[in-house]
Amino acid sequence: MGTIVTIEVVTHDRDRSAPAIVDDAIGRAFEWFREIERVFNRFDATSELRRLCDRPSEAMPASDMLYTAVEFALAVADETAGAFDPTVGAAMERRGFNRDYRDGRVVSSGVMPNAGEPASYRDVALDPAARTILLRRPLVLDLGAVVKGLAIDMAARELAVCEHYAIDAGGDLYVAGRNAREEPWSVGIRHPRRDREVIELLRVSNIAVCTSGDYERQGSGNQDPGQLAHHIIDPRDGQTAARIASATVLAPTAMLADALATAAFVLGPADGISLLERHGVDGLLLTPTLERFMTRGMPSAILSHA
Amino acid sequence: MSALRSGDQPRGQTGKSTGRITNRLVALSSAAVLTIYAAGYLRTRGAAAELQAAERPRVVIPPAPAAGPAIASSVVIREPTPTPVAAPPPEALARKPRATAPAAGSPSVSPTIATPTATPVSPAATSPAQSVEPPAATPASTPAATPPPQISYKDGTYTGWGTSRHGDIEATVTIAGGRITSALISQCWTRYSCSWVAHLQGQVVERQSPEVDYVSRATQSTNAFYYAVVQALSKAK
Repeated sequence: MGTIVTIEVVTHDRDRSAPAIVDDAIGRAFEWFREIERVFNRFDATSELRRLCDRPSEAMPASDMLYTAVEFALAVADETAGAFDPTVGAAMERRGFNRDYRDGRVVSSGVMPNAGEPASYRDVALDPAARTILLRRPLVLDLGAVVKGLAIDMAARELAVCEHYAIDAGGDLYVAGRNAREEPWSVGIRHPRRDREVIELLRVSNIAVCTSGDYERQGSGNQDPGQLAHHIIDPRDGQTAARIASATVLAPTAMLADALATAAFVLGPADGISLLERHGVDGLLLTPTLERFMTRGMPSAILSHA
Repeated sequence: MSALRSGDQPRGQTGKSTGRITNRLVALSSAAVLTIYAAGYLRTRGAAAELQAAERPRVVIPPAPAAGPAIASSVVIREPTPTPVAAPPPEALARKPRATAPAAGSPSVSPTIATPTATPVSPAATSPAQSVEPPAATPASTPAATPPPQISYKDGTYTGWGTSRHGDIEATVTIAGGRITSALISQCWTRYSCSWVAHLQGQVVERQSPEVDYVSRATQSTNAFYYAVVQALSKAK
């Protein structure tokens, strides 16, 4: 993932047995990040994901981890009618080609015989009984957003023996309990246009916080690919998603927060909030002009400034 | 609860949500987490045991001093994960967890870049005093969890170092009349400009502490300065 992972555990003097348990839990938490990297690293020819993508048209047996992650990604794609689509990488290549031909419009398959219909999440089929994944055609399965959240959720489960902790993987977080000042964790949301500033401060506990943004990061040369500021594409039509500058989602799992932040980003303010409300999670969407759109429950998470 | 089917367009739905609420995705993600956790449980147990033996940089953040009975310690462990580049990193190819642990754990966190003349007491370096044994989580001094603004620090000027994957920052904190009067970046060894944390210098004074725990999507950017200030303040007890 190329991300710095920070784990902070707060213990109290009264917890005599805590330190050894904490150390153990932290070790296992970090190991999950490595394990997930081994399975999902697209750049590693030996990773399970890569082996799957190298064998289209073949039902491939998948480990629990890969199968479940793909199943989840497809469910989000289905629920968002493709606003979130783990196959978007391939779709972009195709749609870029098609768009050149006709004023940016997507052309139908008949016009460009070589290009055909772009791939989408509908081209991935699961067999629950056999636990196999079938890519009906060559495509690029990009599970980046889902697995970063997944790694955080795994780490959080390991740390569940502790009451108070924060896991931060490149700015996507899970926080539990309270910080060292015995207050709910304070989490800042970066200003999408002035990245030296925090535009909103949240006070949260026992929740995942994930943000999708379109803003350039300082010194973006060496960044985690999932966080690069290249335009986020609407997988449904290949257009740049430009109605949202920053989408933050609060959810019980980081997997879900990550996926829905990406989907809401593409859907725009009204449909994005509607999506979040429909799935019972909270979020804050910021447009490029810094208009705020919030779910009903969001204001209570925001620290009000004096 | 009917899910949107393929082909349905969500456009046309208003932001006012009077419609159905489904817990399909919440339930599915929770179930997925349990499934994957259970599947990997045994493997990570074995790997973690090997990891324990490996050297890993640790930072113990001493809690700020204040009045009050409770004592809390914050143990912060920071590690970079392997970076996927076109040529896969060695960690990705080596299947054994043992191979990944030290490789991922050591270099990026220690201040290898352009070490200044005064050797930094970087929390990520292997200084044993910092890499505390768990029982010492109760530090010698008597700090407490909640630092109210009226913390009394000892007057003087103190420096501290914080690391990030892009390099290190030294902060110089001045205490006068028991209060923080300035928190300046005195050395910036990060690959990228420190101007992006310049605003934090004033915030520390305003809030009489580093207030923000994390900044979503900019953690490593603020970490270095934050920990540098924390370390400086730890000397001002």
